[in-house]
Amino acid sequence: MVTPKYDVVVIGSGPAGATTARIAAEQGLLVLLCDKKQELGAPIQCSGAVSRHGLESAGVVPSDEFVLEAIYGFGVYNGAGESTILDYRQFKPDEYGEGEGRKPLGYVVDRRRFDRCLMTMAERAGVNVMLKTEALGYQPLPYGICEVRLLHFNEEIKVHARVVVGADGLQSQVGKWAGLRTQIKLTELASCLQFVVDKVETSGLLEIVTGHRWAPGGYAWVFPKGHGYAEIGLGVIRTMTAMNARQHLDVFIKQSFFRERFSDSRILEIQGGGVPLAAPLKTQYADNLLLVGDAARHVNPITGGGIHTALSGGVIAGIFLGSIIKAGIEPNKMNLKKYQDLWLEEMGNKMWQLYGVKKHIFATKDIVQRDDMLYRTMSDYFSPYSEYKKI
Amino acid sequence: MKPPVIFQIGWNACINCGACVAVCPQEAGFISDFDTIAVNRPCDIACMVCEDICPVSTITHYIESAFDNSNFGAFSPKFYNHDN
Repeated sequence: MVTPKYDVVVIGSGPAGATTARIAAEQGLLVLLCDKKQELGAPIQCSGAVSRHGLESAGVVPSDEFVLEAIYGFGVYNGAGESTILDYRQFKPDEYGEGEGRKPLGYVVDRRRFDRCLMTMAERAGVNVMLKTEALGYQPLPYGICEVRLLHFNEEIKVHARVVVGADGLQSQVGKWAGLRTQIKLTELASCLQFVVDKVETSGLLEIVTGHRWAPGGYAWVFPKGHGYAEIGLGVIRTMTAMNARQHLDVFIKQSFFRERFSDSRILEIQGGGVPLAAPLKTQYADNLLLVGDAARHVNPITGGGIHTALSGGVIAGIFLGSIIKAGIEPNKMNLKKYQDLWLEEMGNKMWQLYGVKKHIFATKDIVQRDDMLYRTMSDYFSPYSEYKKI
Repeated sequence: MKPPVIFQIGWNACINCGACVAVCPQEAGFISDFDTIAVNRPCDIACMVCEDICPVSTITHYIESAFDNSNFGAFSPKFYNHDN
């Protein structure tokens, strides 16, 4: 049997993987996109917030297919309930709003439909998509190619590729294949839990509650979820608390300054995940291999937001792969370093800066001072005048 | 040197968040069919960060030596959490 040959095999069809695959195919490459799941985006491990700019810069048109609710700004709270409201409808009423000619600042998306839409875009760009396909390993071969072993409906198959892209999320096994140290320190992975609830009012803002009392090492949130629903969640750093995320969320719902607001809430879904409040991976490439998205820790270390950064990283990776493969450049470790350099230049250096800010805050021993620093940093970050608004 | 442990997942509470795998320092492939850390073989690192990160505290372990295969079924292995 002839071994199928591709220019690029992408493992994992989340926002980063599907975007890498689509952009690479648009560059004229032969691309295989695999995902072990039968339904993309499930189980949901993400709050689903993404900026309009993030979608548009990756060529993704906001659509009723996946948008649950439009977002117009932020409400940032300190532990006592004092707030900074950053409603862009008030800052720039001609630009942001619901009326004609005005736009949302961002969206909360349904990750199942969003991921499926991104995969469909990739498929329509010419990508060969295979679901229920688990990646088992890769082996660099001579002449600049590698062999990728896959398990598809219990059948083991082998394909050859010039580059395999690990887009397999925080739990990345692809990076480990190449000996990259992808695991995240316990001190930098927020343990998150959220409930999708009924009977909690929202007003088009992403609400963020800081304060050690409610979410040590992280923050709590209340996001609109469309159709009158909301999501209430939080992330904690477990080295900073003896309680788990579920216990903290229970306390937040029952005891915080929002307790009256939450008193009639009814839980419709339970979701959780790990969110890296960490630096990007120092090495995101190996021979015939590179990482994108959560697998490379392309996640904002202050907010934990990862959809925008995944999409942007996917665009960078897709264009880069098109350029080197079409030019016949061997995709060895040395040549793939250029991908990381490009990524750092376009967004990674800002993420390293943000990581420095985050590290400084959480190195502060005094809890009152630390809480104040986090509240002010979050408020500044989401302001229209923030130097970091691009990521 | 900590003795090897075998992890157990309380599947009823597991929300398949993947955080245990993300924080695990083991080599590639130390995962279960449900995308949690492996439950069918010993972990010789025994750092227990997977238990710590779990948002619903549904990972426990027992020390491998406490489980004697020849007596499988004759006694229940002793379960520990990482505080023991």
